[in-house]
Amino acid sequence: MSLPRSLPQALAPRHYSTVNWVGLQTLYMKEVRRFMTVATQTILAPMVTTLLFLAVFVLALGHAVDKVAGEPYVAFLAPGLIMMAITQNAFANTSSSILISKIQGNIVDLLMPPLTPLERTIGLAGGGLTRGLVVGVATWVAMVPFVPVSLAHPGFILFHGVMASLLMSLVGVLAGVWAEKFDHMAAITNFIVTPAAFLSGTFYSAARLPEFWQGVAHANPLFYMIDGFRYGFIGHADGSLTAGILVLLGANAFLLWLTYRLFATGYHLKA
Amino acid sequence: MSRTFALQARRFGAVNWIGCWSLLRRQFKNGFSDLHYTILGPVISNALYLLLFVIASSSLTTLDPEAIVTFIAPGLVCFAIAERAFEVSGANLIFDKHERTHTDWVMAPLTPTEKAACFALSSTIGGMAVGIAVALMTLLFVPAAVAHPGALLFFAVATGMMHGLIGTLLGIWAAKWDQYTALHTFVLLPLAFLSGVFAPVASMPETAQSLIAFNPIFYLIDGFRYGAIGEAAADLRLSVGVAVAVNAGLFAWVHFWLRTGYRLKS
Repeated sequence: MSLPRSLPQALAPRHYSTVNWVGLQTLYMKEVRRFMTVATQTILAPMVTTLLFLAVFVLALGHAVDKVAGEPYVAFLAPGLIMMAITQNAFANTSSSILISKIQGNIVDLLMPPLTPLERTIGLAGGGLTRGLVVGVATWVAMVPFVPVSLAHPGFILFHGVMASLLMSLVGVLAGVWAEKFDHMAAITNFIVTPAAFLSGTFYSAARLPEFWQGVAHANPLFYMIDGFRYGFIGHADGSLTAGILVLLGANAFLLWLTYRLFATGYHLKA
Repeated sequence: MSRTFALQARRFGAVNWIGCWSLLRRQFKNGFSDLHYTILGPVISNALYLLLFVIASSSLTTLDPEAIVTFIAPGLVCFAIAERAFEVSGANLIFDKHERTHTDWVMAPLTPTEKAACFALSSTIGGMAVGIAVALMTLLFVPAAVAHPGALLFFAVATGMMHGLIGTLLGIWAAKWDQYTALHTFVLLPLAFLSGVFAPVASMPETAQSLIAFNPIFYLIDGFRYGAIGEAAADLRLSVGVAVAVNAGLFAWVHFWLRTGYRLKS
């Protein structure tokens, strides 16, 4: 073994321009490949479960429901279920990615590379966003043979789909950073994410609830996601659309800022 | 001065009780290490299902929410037993195979019958524990209903045992978690969801009704519901027959795989 005759020319830190595009793309693709390699579990399984929910509720209640918001029950239910699949999977993607990295110890792969906190936020959230949208589209396609699908306002479908997926993937990042064990994550999923999704007007029309429960629904950001998303399909909304758009924009801006701060300070990540 | 001990194989009576007890304890130690997670999870998700049905039926339909919940509650309890029983043996086995610790019980001086019985029994008990917790939760929504205690117990045990045996088969067969969860999501869950847990079979379209007649889980849930609220869609003797026959068949299958060492001794 002989020493190299000359050292590499410049041992100075490498410089990136405003955005480290290669790094950002690498992180994003890592997040996407992570769920694509197990697509049976991450895309097909939620699709089947969502279809089962559709079947169960239509079989159990469909025959007794006259019309909801001027639509057959199944047409009312379908958009809500698609949204539920989007939110749960967007959340699952980012939260499990960070938590598993922390437990296995390869979280350094996320923290050491020359990425700014903002790039980290966008790369991770982008992965969750993609998972949510892929699951949403897959579920929608699977439902087409069973559900009379109308597309009243495609813009609303797109806006609410993207906003909801982004919001829940950012919540997933926060949960992943905070949790230390799988138990913690199971608790968040069981006590917060699932109840919030179940009780947010997926299965029933919030407008027909008693006043107290309407108030509860309106305090839940998931209500606005589902309501606006459903408006995109059937052209009927229970709540105010403007309020929904503002809530989603506001919540996403706040969560982006919060996630950025967490990565910038290294909370729960850099001991 | 020398005394020779005969170095012969140790002999057990008809049943190796100590071995059975050890295997049972091993199963429970694995399955019950995180109680709040295995019991609280199903309790909460089932409470949500019931709440959803109450809200949805009372706000959308003229149906009596109480009648709906009374009908669904026993199905959910039975479903909770099934899910947990399946997990106790299935997840344990895959974990064992991954960690290569299955040799601990493959090597042990237990007959295939003893092993199969221990797997079935631990699953049944695990499933019943969750079932009791979920049943207590349903008391928040409906009054307690035990129309025929004997039938209730019989179908609870039959459900737990059947899913424990299915879990054992899947656990032996699957090489990876992926295969295990895939079969659970794509086969077992649809069979359970579309077995009349949530809706009376009579209200379903006719094709669905004739398909459900081939779903063994339908008979278990129907019999269990008969035990709870005294209503059955199928003939009770048929349900009992299906439960006994399917369990016997599955037991024989597990026994065969354990005896030949399929996917375990290679």
